[in-house]
Amino acid sequence: MADSKMLDVSLHERRRARRMEEPEYRLAYERTARELAQTDAVIRDLDSLRVDLGISKAELARRVNRNASSVRRLFTASQVRPEFPLIAALADALGADLRVVRRPADARPSMRESSTKGRVTASA
Amino acid sequence: MPWAVVYYKAPDGTTPALQFLDSCPGKIDAEFTAVLDAVAGAPPPRFSGGGKWEAMHGAMGGWYEIRLTGPGREQFRLFCLLENGTHDQLTGRGLQRCAIAVITGMRKPWRTTFAERDYQRVRELGDEHRTNYPRRIAT
Repeated sequence: MADSKMLDVSLHERRRARRMEEPEYRLAYERTARELAQTDAVIRDLDSLRVDLGISKAELARRVNRNASSVRRLFTASQVRPEFPLIAALADALGADLRVVRRPADARPSMRESSTKGRVTASA
Repeated sequence: MPWAVVYYKAPDGTTPALQFLDSCPGKIDAEFTAVLDAVAGAPPPRFSGGGKWEAMHGAMGGWYEIRLTGPGREQFRLFCLLENGTHDQLTGRGLQRCAIAVITGMRKPWRTTFAERDYQRVRELGDEHRTNYPRRIAT
C-alpha cells in the first residue's frame, strides 16, 4: 500500500496537545507520567539486576517463596498492581536496597500539585 | 513515539473511546492519556504497566485495559487492542507502525462489577474493528 493510503494517526497527539493547554489537565498528566516512569524504572532495574546476576525468574520466585507466574507477570505487561512487599522481597533476594531519593528542589512538584517527593530506586 | 495511538470509529461514525474520554473528569482523561503515552513509548513487553495497564484474561484474552479510580472511588476502564505484526500485516491495516487501538471505555461505581453483556459489547466493537482493512479510525 502506498504511503498516501496510510491512515492519519495524529489525532491522539493533536488531542493531547489541545487538552494540555488546560493547567489542571497538564498537572494530572505530568503527575501520572512521573508515577508510571518511577514504577517502571524500579521494575526494570530489578529485572536488569536479575539478568546481570544470571538468576531466572523461576529461581527468583523460589527465593522469595512466590509462584513463578507472579514474578513473571511483574516483569511483563500483565501485572496490574505491583505489590510493594513483593518488590521489596525481590530487591532483598537480589542483594539490593530500595531507597527514596529526594529530588533537587527545582524538580519537585509543589505540595498542591502532588504528594510525590522523590523516586524509589533499586541499588545493589 | 515507537507506537501510535488510534481510536476505533464505529460504522455509524461515532468514536466510542473518545466519547468516553470526553465524558470523564478531566484528571481521569489526563491519566488515561498519560498511560497510553507510556505504553506507546515503551510498548509490551517492555512496559511493566506502572500499576495501571493490565492484560486481560478469559473471554477478554488478547485485550488490555487501563484501570483508574476517580472521585468517590468510581472505577474507569479503557479497553485497548494491540495492532502489531509484520510490516505487510500493518500495511494492510493502513498502519505504518504498530499501534494501540483504543476501542471503548466504561465506568462503574466502586464495589460493583460489569455485566458479561458489557464485556460482550466491548468484544463486538473490537471484532468489528478487526474486520476493517484498512482500519476505520478517528482522524
